[in-house]
Amino acid sequence: MKLSEDEVRRITLDTITELGENATPELVKQKVKEKIEKLSEGSVSFPIGSTSSGRVILTAFGLNKPGIVAAITKSIAESNCDIQDLSQKLMGDFFTMIMIVDLSTSPKDLKGLQKDMAKIAEELKIKIYLQHEDVFKFMHRI
Amino acid sequence: MPYEFEEILETIRMTEIEHFDIRTVTLGISLRDCHDRNLEVAKQKIYDKILKYGKNHVKLAKEVESQFGISIANKRISVTPVSIPFDSLKQDEFIEIAKILDKAAEEIGVDYLAGYSALVQKGMTNGELELIRSIPEALSQTKRVCSSVNVASTKAGINMDAVLMMSEVIKSTAEKTKNNDSIGCAKLVVFANAVEDNPFVAGAFHGVSEPEVVLNVGISGPGVVLDAVKEAGKVDLHQLSEVIKKTIFKITRAGELIGRKTAEKLGVQFGIVDISLAPTPAEGDSIADILKAMGVEDVGAPGTTAALAMLNDSVKKAGLMASSSVGGLSGAFIPVSEDLGMIRAVQAGNLSLEKLEAMTAVCSVGLDMVAIPGDTSSSTIAGIIADECAIGVINDKTTAVRIIPAFGKKVGDFVDYGGLLGKAPVMSVRKLRCDNFVGRGGRIPAPSRSLTN
Repeated sequence: MKLSEDEVRRITLDTITELGENATPELVKQKVKEKIEKLSEGSVSFPIGSTSSGRVILTAFGLNKPGIVAAITKSIAESNCDIQDLSQKLMGDFFTMIMIVDLSTSPKDLKGLQKDMAKIAEELKIKIYLQHEDVFKFMHRI
Repeated sequence: MPYEFEEILETIRMTEIEHFDIRTVTLGISLRDCHDRNLEVAKQKIYDKILKYGKNHVKLAKEVESQFGISIANKRISVTPVSIPFDSLKQDEFIEIAKILDKAAEEIGVDYLAGYSALVQKGMTNGELELIRSIPEALSQTKRVCSSVNVASTKAGINMDAVLMMSEVIKSTAEKTKNNDSIGCAKLVVFANAVEDNPFVAGAFHGVSEPEVVLNVGISGPGVVLDAVKEAGKVDLHQLSEVIKKTIFKITRAGELIGRKTAEKLGVQFGIVDISLAPTPAEGDSIADILKAMGVEDVGAPGTTAALAMLNDSVKKAGLMASSSVGGLSGAFIPVSEDLGMIRAVQAGNLSLEKLEAMTAVCSVGLDMVAIPGDTSSSTIAGIIADECAIGVINDKTTAVRIIPAFGKKVGDFVDYGGLLGKAPVMSVRKLRCDNFVGRGGRIPAPSRSLTN
């Protein structure tokens, strides 16, 4: 996991405040290192053994045009789902977006959401795929 | 993001473009407690038991399908080799059993149910004899029932009496189903070293050492491997084997996930993942195309067997790493009718039956979905089966023969079943005779490698 400079600075400042009077350059350095390691562990120890997290991965792609992100996120919000991560890239005129959506708070199941997305995909002439997170976990993480 | 962009796109590409799917989830059901002195009661017991465990099989598998976005091409059932629990029955009664199996399969909505089988590598009981005699009638009177007979094993040798008998059964099945391009033969497999947990129909059966109910999964995905091989470009064979292994690893993991989830939903034990590369007649879903992408001009060219051996071995190695429950046949299937590339190779005259036989020494099964002229004599078919069994017995591997002596057809004609069974060009068979050899009967003794203790 990569941390931005700002995040490292924030962690450092927090550590200095925590240590208060005891803060020495060596101690701060050590504590910050520990914290950062702990953070990156968090992302690696992503709950791999535990299946059925309720999270799905939404992948959308097609020709870029205004309103794709808006249409998809609006529908997700209306279904009371939580977007936990979002990454979007343009490759030339080609729009790609990958989203991690948590369904556990939604009254809808994956099928329901798939139906909504199929409608949006047709309107905007793009492709939207929704697959359970476990598939990616099993295929790409040991 | 916990996953890389490329990883996610790779999975999407595999499932959406390269035809990666789970080829079959097969529910194995034991029928060993279904025997009864009264045939009607036995039939009812069979029907009730299959329905009890299988009635939600299709529905739940579909749920898993939509949950994970990976399609499951087939949902199937396998049962205990029917000759075992019903050893006391007569020929006509066995046909009744086949009919009730067919009815149960139809009721729960599976396209095939396999296990109308007998294991006779060392000899036959009276019941097994009756069952084998009933096969042509049973397959012609049912739609969904598949049959297999194991006639040889490394431990027991080759039961040539059974081989001869099966060649006649095949001929007779072809004739009885002549109106449908001898389709009965597409549902009949003769095995050497049959495995007990194979999920792939038509050769599946629920082995005697299996639990009450178990779910086995067969993965597929020649299209995924084909693209990976193409993408690898001009690398040496060592590197190419790495490429294949990495791809197979990923699809096996997905297969295991789908299997476990379906078993969990059904509330039954999860058995094995069979990592066979199984082609379908769809464009790009072909083992032949992989072999060509590896560098042979067409299937049948010198080098084909070596390429297939490497492919088969890479599949096994990657599968073993990806899943701790690898079983079944696990390798690369080379059915002719179910693979467009193989069909083309036969049509172009590049692939002969003899070369195909050599390839079966290194593939995962054997001569599969091969159509031959309808006037081929039963002793020639027995010779083909015996050859295939010899390859299996001596190399300690499973081999099988699913051959279709297409009634009334000649070399150059086609048998066409549509769907997953595809269409097969009728291949020419050597006219040299082997009557005096196969006609001797008896048993070819087990090879020295059977004495491993």
